[in-house]
Parts: sequence; C-alpha cells; structure tokens
Amino acid sequence: MIPISYLVLVFLFGSVVSYLITKANRIVGAIFNFLLTFYALFVLWNLEIGHTEKLFSILEGVENTFKVSSLGKYFSIISLIVISLVSFFIIEWIRKKPSRPAAFNAFVLIMSAGIIGVFFSNDLLTLYIFWEIAVLGSFLIVPMGKEDSKKAAVIYVVTSAIGSYMYLFATFSIYNKYGILEFDQVSRFLLNEPSNLFKWFIILFIASAGIAKSGIFPLHTWLRITHGNAPDAFSAILSGQLVKMGSYVLAISLSVFPSTKLLASFYSGVPLLNYILIWLGNISIIIGTFMAIRQNDMKQLIAYSSVANGGYILVGLGVMNSIGYAGGLFHVFNHAIAAAMIFLSFAAVVYRTGTTKIDEMGGLIWKMPWTFVTYLVGIISLAGIPPTSGFISKWMIFNALLTKGMFVTLTITFIGSVGSFLYVFRPLAGVFLGQLKKKHYEVKEVSPVMLIPMLVLTLLTLFIGVYPKPVLDFIVSIENSLGIKPIEYSGTIIKTSLGQWDTLTVFTMFAVGFIIALVLYIIFPRGKKVELTDQYTGGEYLFNYDLYHYATGFYRFLERLYDKHPSFEKLYGMLVSFFKSMGEIINELFYKVSPSGYVFWISIVILILFWVRW
Amino acid sequence: MANHERNIWEKIADQLRSKSLWMLHYCTGCGAIELPPSMTSRFDMERFGMGPMATPRQADILFITGYLSAKTLRRVIYTYEQMPEPKYVIGFGSCTLNGGIYYDSYATINRLDYYIPVDLYIAGCMPRPEALLEAFNELMKMIRKGEANGWRDYKENYDWYKSNQIRSLGEVLVHDEFHE
Amino acid sequence: MMTIIRVAAVLLTGFFVGLTLEGVSRKIIARIQRRYGPPWYQNFIDVFKALSKNGITHGWIFDFGILMALGGVIATLAFVPLGDLVAFPGLDNLFIIVYLFAVGALGMAMGMVGSGNPNSSIGVARALTQMLGYEIPYMISVSAVMYYYKTASVSELMLSQQDSWTLLKMPLGGIVAFISLLGMLGKKPFDTPIAPAEIASGPMVELSAKYMGLLMLMHTFSIFVEIGLFVDIFLGISNYWTFLIKFTVIWILATLISSVLPRFRIEQVVKFYWKVPLGLAFLQALFVLLGWVF
Repeated sequence: MIPISYLVLVFLFGSVVSYLITKANRIVGAIFNFLLTFYALFVLWNLEIGHTEKLFSILEGVENTFKVSSLGKYFSIISLIVISLVSFFIIEWIRKKPSRPAAFNAFVLIMSAGIIGVFFSNDLLTLYIFWEIAVLGSFLIVPMGKEDSKKAAVIYVVTSAIGSYMYLFATFSIYNKYGILEFDQVSRFLLNEPSNLFKWFIILFIASAGIAKSGIFPLHTWLRITHGNAPDAFSAILSGQLVKMGSYVLAISLSVFPSTKLLASFYSGVPLLNYILIWLGNISIIIGTFMAIRQNDMKQLIAYSSVANGGYILVGLGVMNSIGYAGGLFHVFNHAIAAAMIFLSFAAVVYRTGTTKIDEMGGLIWKMPWTFVTYLVGIISLAGIPPTSGFISKWMIFNALLTKGMFVTLTITFIGSVGSFLYVFRPLAGVFLGQLKKKHYEVKEVSPVMLIPMLVLTLLTLFIGVYPKPVLDFIVSIENSLGIKPIEYSGTIIKTSLGQWDTLTVFTMFAVGFIIALVLYIIFPRGKKVELTDQYTGGEYLFNYDLYHYATGFYRFLERLYDKHPSFEKLYGMLVSFFKSMGEIINELFYKVSPSGYVFWISIVILILFWVRW
Repeated sequence: MANHERNIWEKIADQLRSKSLWMLHYCTGCGAIELPPSMTSRFDMERFGMGPMATPRQADILFITGYLSAKTLRRVIYTYEQMPEPKYVIGFGSCTLNGGIYYDSYATINRLDYYIPVDLYIAGCMPRPEALLEAFNELMKMIRKGEANGWRDYKENYDWYKSNQIRSLGEVLVHDEFHE
Repeated sequence: MMTIIRVAAVLLTGFFVGLTLEGVSRKIIARIQRRYGPPWYQNFIDVFKALSKNGITHGWIFDFGILMALGGVIATLAFVPLGDLVAFPGLDNLFIIVYLFAVGALGMAMGMVGSGNPNSSIGVARALTQMLGYEIPYMISVSAVMYYYKTASVSELMLSQQDSWTLLKMPLGGIVAFISLLGMLGKKPFDTPIAPAEIASGPMVELSAKYMGLLMLMHTFSIFVEIGLFVDIFLGISNYWTFLIKFTVIWILATLISSVLPRFRIEQVVKFYWKVPLGLAFLQALFVLLGWVF
C-alpha cells in the first residue's frame, strides 16, 4: 500500500516536474497532471480506513499524523474525481487559455497535495498546514483569468485568511488549555469541559474557516468575484472541490466534536449553536438564490448558486440527525459533481465564444449539443429534480427539517429549491436556447477530449440518481464512525421516519412516461422542420434575429421587487475604502518626503523625548 | 377546386376538424366589430367548438375582414404560410371579394383569392353575425365533405399564386422595414 | 403485472376524466356568461384534431422538450393515489410527486424556449416566477399536514384522516393549499404566464398541431396531479368513486372562482402569494406545532 505522505510528496515534486514539462510542451504537461491525479484517485480508492502515518512534530507533545477516516476518504474521493476529470478537460483547454500554463499546472498539483493532506489530517495543526498549502496553490491560479482577477485573488485570500486565522486561534487555545490537538482527544476533552463559552468559542472559530471557504454568509462575497474572474476550467475545481473543503471543516466542527452531545438542546434536539449555523445557512440560501436570479454573467450566477448550495450543506449538517447529516454529506457529492459539470460546460462555451455574458449568446444548442446536454443534466441535478442524484440529498434535507418541525428553515430551503429552477433556467434559455447570434454561426462543438470528462460526470450523476448505493454506503460508514444513527436503505429504496421512495421505480416510471409520449409522437403526422427564424411575429417582418432573443433582464419583473436590497458587498466595499483612506492618512503623515513633514516629526520626537526625560 | 380522394383516416380527421375550428382573425379592415356579438352570448360561436386563437400556429381558419392594403397583404401571406395544414381562409365582406367601395383605390387589392386561396366568401357590407354563423356552418359542411381544399390548391398552384403576389407587391430587393 | 394494470388504470382515468372535466368547465363558464357552450366532449375533439394536423417543429430540442414534459407528467400521475387506486403503494412520497412534476415543467419550458420565440421565453419566465410564488405557501401548508401525521406518503396521509377531514382540522392550511392550487392550475387570476392577449398565449406561441395536442394532454394530466393531491391530502378518505366526485367538486369550484376574476400582473402574483397565503401557512404551521388542531 502506498502511504499518503508519499502521495503528497509525489504531488509536490510532481508540480516541479509538471512545470518543466509544461514549459516544453503544454499538452504533455497537462497529460502528466491528469495521469498523476488519476493515479492519486486510484490510490485513495484503495486506502483502508484507520490507516495511520506519522509525519513530523512541530509542537511539543503533538504528533502530526495522517489518519484515514471515512469522512476524509469520502471527501477526498469526491475531490479527486473532480480534479482528475477537470485535468482531463484541461488537456485540450490549455492550448488556448491560461496566461501562464506552466505555473497553472504546477499550482494545480500543489493545491491537490494540500487537499489530500487536509482530508487525511488527524489533528488541527496538520489540517491547518495543508489547508494553507491548498489555499496558496489556488490563490496563485486565480490571477491567470480575466483582467480583474488580481483583485479577485486578493479578496479570495483575505476572506480565506479571516477564516483560517480564527481557526488557528482556536487551535492554539486548545493547545494552551489541554496540550493536545488530535481530533478524538480534543472531542474527549471538550466533553468534560465545564465552560460552555469555551465550547462555543472552539466550535464557532473552527467552523469559521469552513464558513469562509464554503462561501457562507457573511463571508460569501468572494465567491462571485473569484468565480467571475478565475480561469474558466479552474472554476470547476474551485466550486466543485475547494468549496467542499470548507464543508469538510464544517462537518468536522459539528460532528467530530459532537455538538449535539456537547451542548444542550435548544429546539427539538438541535443546540443553539447549530441553530445559529443553520440560520447562517438559511441566509446564504436566500442571498445565493435571489442574487443568482439577478446575474447576467453566467459564471457569477453559478457562483451565487454555490453560496446557496453551501447553505444547503450547512443546514443539512447542522441538523445533525441521521437523515439530515446524510443529506448534507450527499449534497456535498451532488453539488461537487453538478458544479463541475456546469462550470466545465461554461468553460467549453467560453472556449468557443470568448464571453461569459448571458445576453451576448444564444442558440448555442445548435452548435454545441453535447455541451448543452452536460449543462442540462447538471442543472437538473443542481435544482434537485429526479431522476438525477441532486434530488436525493434535497429530499433527505427536507425530511430532516420536517421531522424536526423547523418550518422557517424548511420554507427557506423550499425557496432555494424553487428559486434554483429560476436561476439555472436563465443560462439555459439565454446561452443555449433561443436565436443563434450571427457572430456565432461558425462556432463548433468542442473536441472529444473536452467532452469526455463532461459526459463522464453526466453519466455519474444519472447513475447515482438511479442507484445511490455507492454514496450511501460511504455515508453509512461515516455516520457509524461518528456515532450517528446511520441512514436506512435497502437496494434503491431509501427510508426515513416519514416514508420511503425508490429511485429505480421513479426512473423506470419516467422512462415509461417518456416512451408513451414517444409512441404518441411517432404515430401522429410528422412536423415540418422550419428555420429558427420562421417565427410568429404578429405578422411583422424582422431583419435582425439577434435582437429577437429574450435574454436581457430575464426575470426583470421579479428583480424589481428587491432592487433596493441591502448588500454586504457594498458594506465590505465601504470598509475597504475606509481602511484605504486611513492608510492614506498614515502614508501622508509618515512617509511623505517633504522637509516640513520631516521637521514636524523630528520636533514631535524630541518633545516626547523631553517629556519622558529619557 | 377539385375534390381530393381521402382515405378513412383523413375522413375521420375531417370530421374532427369540422367540429373544432380555431380561428385567427386578421381584422385590419372594418369587419372586426361583427365578431364580438358572434362570440358572446347572443350567437355563441363556441357551441360549434370554434374559438379565437392568439397565434397562426394553432389556427385552422384565417378570417380576413374587409379591405387589404398592399402593405397588410404581405402580412396576410406571411401569416397564412405560417399556419399548419390543413388551413382554411374565409373572406369577410365585399372588399375581399371585389374591392367593395375601395374598388378603385390605388392602395388596396381587389380580389383576395388571387393571392391566397379563399375557401368561402361572405358577401355584404357589413355581413351580420347571422351570415357569419351561416358561413361557418357552410365551411363545416365543406370540410366534412372534403371540399375545403384551398390549402392543397395553394400548394399545387404555388407558382401562380406567387406570381400574382409578386405582380401586385413587387419583388423586394432591399430587405428592411420600409420595403417589405 | 398488477402494477402495470394499476398504472394503466390511473393514466386512463386521468385521460378520460380529465378531458371530460375540462369540457364540463368550458360548459360551466359558458353558462355563467349566458351562453350555450360547447358539448362536454369538445376537448376530446380538440385534442385529436390537433394531433391530426401537420405541424411545424423548430428542431430536436423543441420535440424533446414536449416529450420530456408529457413523459414527466405521466410519470408523476402514476404516483398519485386516486382514492384507493394506488399504483405504487408505499412509494407515493409527496416530495417525489412535487419534484417529479418539475421534470414536466422543465421539459415544457425547455422545449418552448427552444422554439426561439421571445413570447414563449417571457411566458416561461413568468411561469417559473409564478411557481416561486405558489409553491412556497403550498409546500408549507402541506408540510404542516405531514408533520402532524408523521408521514410523507400521500396514501397514508389520506388514510390518517379517519376522524375528520384535514380540511376541517387545519382550515387555514386547506385554504392556502386551495389558493395555491388555483396558481398551479394557471386559472384566473393567476393565468399570467399564458396571457393570450399580451404575449400571444406565452409558452405555447409556436406550438402547432401534434405538439399542441401533446401539450393539451400534458395539461390534462397536470390538472389531475394537482387536484388529485389536494383531494387526497385534505378531503378525507375516499375510494376511487368518491375520489372522482370530490375531484369534480374541487374542479368546478376552481372554475367558478376563476371565471369571474380578472388577471394579476406577475409581480402582483408573487407579492400576493408571499403576503397572504404564506402568512396563513406559517400561522397554520404554528398551530400544528402548538397542537391546536381541531
């Protein structure tokens, strides 16, 4: 068996190798990346749970170790599926796109090394170290996108730093108090801790790293800016994978340190702390959904949907009963795959058309049908419609909230769910359907190298939607290892206290319905195929069908209702400009090269010296 | 218009079509006012299964009231060609028959069926709703017997219709909103 | 084997009863307007006439959207219990029915926007927005019922009403669900998405012949799903025949209400649903949590 530390080292050295290869030939470098990540996926798949490795020891009395837990294995396999498939996509994409392909490939590997380390860390400090490696790798990739991407990278790393420093603070507080950092020991000590305040502080501060990373309110603003500007294929990793690192930390802070046992119940078995986190999730769902409806940039739209889905995961995890926790974990899988599919299809569209604005495109389905299919299945899964896998997790979360009687949260999850129909439909209608623009008449479908990873993800979503056992097996083993009652299922039938449903029956019935419709369709006279420009126009002649495409302000009538919403982005912008002007004042006072200022400061210093009689 | 040999399915379909006629009315002329009474409680068109439709895609009857200027004739032809087959045209009022009081106008056409095949005319200026309903019943009978074959006629004699259309309207060389 | 027969029975009921009742509702509206009205079988003629014509298509997504719409709704209908006629006993989870229903809606939206006509895009955008309006209060009021009976299976929800109807136990929830039902059915005052005079019948603008016929079938089945759920959840235990009677009553009631009302604008729809019915639904949920159920 190959140790994980060896794998991490291979990735770190591989990044140098990849850099050099990519310098020589971009495509070979990208193939190298793909092979390495795919190999890592293979290794991780075969890891045994409970396998432990010693790494090093920085702090006294704390051994930094890797340990394979079910939770880590689940997350790492999802991550590596996404990363390896995106790497496959990059083989073709790298020919045209990032401004520095060699550095891009190298940083992807560094980031992957960090990610693997995060998911297998057995203590808080190791997790932090690898976390920062992953953030570093991804932080350096973001500026390779659009013009504004340098600013985006700064916002990304600052937001991430807020979370990770709070996390680090909690880590050292634990070390000061108990002298240990391993997860099991920390949770054992916390169970005996008399001070409620300390428990709150620890869990909240550790969770804040996850909150920052998975784009939960109030640290959600970076997602839009970063996604809007990051390289297109990298957005798939960013949303499909890096955000899930945040979910992992949230899962740890809520379940490895068992919050339901640590704290007293507040409302039907959920502690107040979890309840607060659930509310943060709720606010994220609301903000994500309603802001996504407004966006005209398709990547920013899905970035806001990532905020909303991060909220779903947090709500599911926060409920902390068997079905809710399972729903949260399942949603991690679903959103990772769906976001990767959607961002890859966008990357393909941008690769061919060179724009991300929804109203600058239209009718691309006639040119890029397979990209469209990927996007379609992706949004069906994202919106949680059967028979894709996305519905299973949403169903679980609904069930969990309903059994707990949390009606307000339930309302908000329904809003998020129905709202997601609205916003995912907007790129569908604006980019893929409708009238084809004249300037896109020559656009072609992307090459098979790009299509293969997209279609693999599509099949995976459909397969898990019909046969969810592989994921459910993982979830059961995670819940067993964390001492939560595992979710019940047999074959394709998933059970809760509220009833059950059978994924296979639903899929079969859908197929039957489709076949009935198809039979009716075939036996009646065939329709005549007409051009897309042959439209009912009220008898009017049109000359520019580019304008006959309804994509600008698609939901304007709805947006008008909340045009004057309060914006946290603006608030942060105000804070930034406040600090900027403070900095300018200081700059003005201290660093200005002018004789009068110089004399002023010297006289002040002399006065102070006299005053303290030094 | 020659009778067309129908097979059994077409006969059944024609029975159905005669009982469910959806209508698109093209009322840029003056006859539109006769439609409300024939739709509402006095004469109630819906008891024959007839009703107004918003788009030509769903319509069976193109109902043209009054005169057609050269500019609106283009729209009528365009709309007619957008309708799915089988489709029927009713010309309402004298203006569609022979130009009516506008027979010597420079801007209107005199005979509609030079340009699109008209299955049934309703003469008069204005025809009353009774005449309208009578015409609809007549059209239903024609459809049931398989005599309302204007749409086949249009397909078979497309060149003739096209040449008439071009003669009256002229070839369009410049494609913009002022010339079509 | 029994399952196949039961599914066929459900679908055929949906087809015959649904189309008949649509004809009946046209007759009722005619009588309200002092007209004679079409015969009750008018909608059968309309559907088959539409199917028999030679239509036009705008490419494969247009066709596929219609098939997905009809297929999705047929699949949904198969899960709805018609009184004691339950095609998939134990699997008729309410969430499944509601979300499987969205497959049909998405298919229709996709096919219609695929036609490339802006009127249909506007109609679809309105329909989705309206969905955001009515779905939330509906789901909350139904969730309160599910929380009370501790089950999400529709047939079990029906069988739990032995002592009295849910409508009487939770009147507010019933009213909310009924108002939402009007929105779901697209009845006036909530027929904004298909406003024929504004946007040329909205999503259906490019639908001709066969496509129109299939969509009319889909519409019939959707009506059956929507009202069927309401009858099962709120109107007590019923067998197949009493189910149909209750169904007819609800359908006629909805027709009567809609035939005398004008149309809302789309933002008025959302505002209305999120004010009155959502407030009432929360009140009902609060009552259920407090145990104030008659």
